[in-house]
Amino acid sequence: MDKIVAQYSRPSHQNEFYSEQEQQDLTETLPPLSLKFALPPVANPSAFLRAMTDDHSNPSCPIKLAHGTTTLAFRFQGGIIVCTDSRATAGNWIASQTVKKVIPVSRLSRGEDKPSNEPTPGLLGTMAGGAADCQYWLRYLSQQCTLHEIRHKRRITVAAASKILANLTYSYKGYGLSMGTMLAGVRTTASFLPSNQVGLELTSTAFIGNPQEGPALYYIDSDGTRLPGNLFCVGSGQTFAYGVLDANYRYDLTEEEALALGRRAILAAMHRDAYSGGFINLYHVKEEGWVHHGFDDMNPIFWKTKLESGEFSNVTSEL
Amino acid sequence: MGSPFDINGGACVAMVGKDCVAIACDLRLGMQALTISNNFPKIFNYAPSTYLGLTGLATDVNTVSDLFRYKVNMYRLREERHISPRPWPTCPVLAGINQTTGKPFICGFDSIGCIDFAKDFIVSGTASDQLFGTCEGLWEPDLGPEDLFETISQALLSAVDRDALSGWGAQVYIIEKDKVTQRLLKGRQD
Amino acid sequence: MRGPTIIKAEDDKTRQLNKNTLMAFSGEAGDTVQFAEFIQANVQLYSMRNDTELSPAAVANFVRGELARSLRSRSPYTVNLLLGGMDPTTEQPHLYWIDYLASLAPVPYAAHGYAQYYCLSLLDKHHNPNIDLEQGMKLLGMCTDELKRRLPIDYKGVLVKIITKDGVKEVDFDNDKIVRSA
Repeated sequence: MDKIVAQYSRPSHQNEFYSEQEQQDLTETLPPLSLKFALPPVANPSAFLRAMTDDHSNPSCPIKLAHGTTTLAFRFQGGIIVCTDSRATAGNWIASQTVKKVIPVSRLSRGEDKPSNEPTPGLLGTMAGGAADCQYWLRYLSQQCTLHEIRHKRRITVAAASKILANLTYSYKGYGLSMGTMLAGVRTTASFLPSNQVGLELTSTAFIGNPQEGPALYYIDSDGTRLPGNLFCVGSGQTFAYGVLDANYRYDLTEEEALALGRRAILAAMHRDAYSGGFINLYHVKEEGWVHHGFDDMNPIFWKTKLESGEFSNVTSEL
Repeated sequence: MGSPFDINGGACVAMVGKDCVAIACDLRLGMQALTISNNFPKIFNYAPSTYLGLTGLATDVNTVSDLFRYKVNMYRLREERHISPRPWPTCPVLAGINQTTGKPFICGFDSIGCIDFAKDFIVSGTASDQLFGTCEGLWEPDLGPEDLFETISQALLSAVDRDALSGWGAQVYIIEKDKVTQRLLKGRQD
Repeated sequence: MRGPTIIKAEDDKTRQLNKNTLMAFSGEAGDTVQFAEFIQANVQLYSMRNDTELSPAAVANFVRGELARSLRSRSPYTVNLLLGGMDPTTEQPHLYWIDYLASLAPVPYAAHGYAQYYCLSLLDKHHNPNIDLEQGMKLLGMCTDELKRRLPIDYKGVLVKIITKDGVKEVDFDNDKIVRSA
């Protein structure tokens, strides 16, 4: 009983890794996480969650989480390419073929997909693992980034944004969060709005006060991992995407080549991985913001690739 | 993992029309999420207008189809006539036209041999839940060969598009009294 | 591998079954070589008795049959196989993928284990049935590069054998190339 009471009376994140002074500093920048999730009334909520949702150890578990995905992002001389599939599966059932797994983060007016070709300022986050976890926490991150923008009159760095998310996933470590996400953005001096105020930033030291962050790509997952890098693929189809991407990747790809490579790598994963498929969702993040390069059905693209360049010789096209 | 029926994936469906039957299967061979081959037909021909569709564990699709070829060939040599479609334990979906009566015939089995004689359609495989839905919605009695082809194709493709473990193209056989048409469907490759 | 130790780095995990059929194997230690040599002996016995070579398709179906039989026995062989060969009459190349459950599939290119997760997408993109030997070796190089880049273990190089209508021969392959990831 005491255990249960303790669980409900304890705010979710006190005394976890910040000293009191740090806490105070933090609360000046970030509002406290008012995240009072109702936890199941059992002794060990995370074990309970695992028992209910882990279809790997228990195929007849009552809740099947959407897990399969392929997402990729890579840096090149012209910015960052972000590309994902669009399938959501629950077990072997394809629940949706039109999931948007790229989520715009950090913008006062949250940049929704719009028809114009004008770049939209802000970061992009990708979604792999539990769809609900990713959507919820990227929305939360978006809120934090927007608040940062309002407070400091300048846009948040990708380093800082990724650190907020990583700290958050780390503080919930062991509670059964499931997400593998990539944050991509380009910040240059142009991202500074007129300001003389320097606020506390939750950044890794290497990036504090760095005005020229340039194109930055971070991988964050629910273990609390946070890694900067040039090239990441996340999800059940990651190996297939890596295969195509590694063989053809160079930093000095042209914009056109980079877009084609991102699209082709996702196509490869959709073809070989049963839990990836649907539509190819392609974004290019550059200095002025991100540009959407289509949400296109993979099927016509697949047959065009096969018939025009003779790839996919494993697929029969005639009897 | 778990069920051996879900390791390799695959779907099969048979339908009755007016003086004709159709049988169709997908082409995927997988190992859980990984697609190994996109050219793994699951329908086997044992005599003029007698076709057998097998889904489930791929090794047993191979084994049963080989065993059947052997048994059917032995029957033909012994009886000096082709075998005609009639229930025979162990096969999941059977479709054909009885050469003497000219009557269309389909039946399905579960893996331990319970026979399901149907007047309309038989489904099996990892997409069977979806196939029940699409067939229930699209099938109607007394379809001609062309209409039956359209119906079975749409039913199969729509069903496998909602199943992660089957699809990647399909094969359809339309069986009439003295003619069999085989067609390849270019399904989604994801 | 035995516990944390690599016992031998250059073990030949292939057996030549007849003049123009070669079988590569992976799986449970002990099972692999026992099964491969059992098959090898039986295929050779067939050739001696009948004074003719079995075609790759015939060998593949024989192998599958034996493996399927063992699968339902008290102690099944846990072996994954790739079987490649040139048909002596048609002079067409054939490749068969067989897993430990004895599923058989004819394929244009194949792999087993983790390699299939990294290499199949590469082969999907770069393979074409009309490529010559030089392009084929280059493609194989791309595959091994990717495995070096992404596999968390060092698999100590590969052994490459080529099957032509004249038989099977081993070729040199540069296993010392260092690959860096992006």
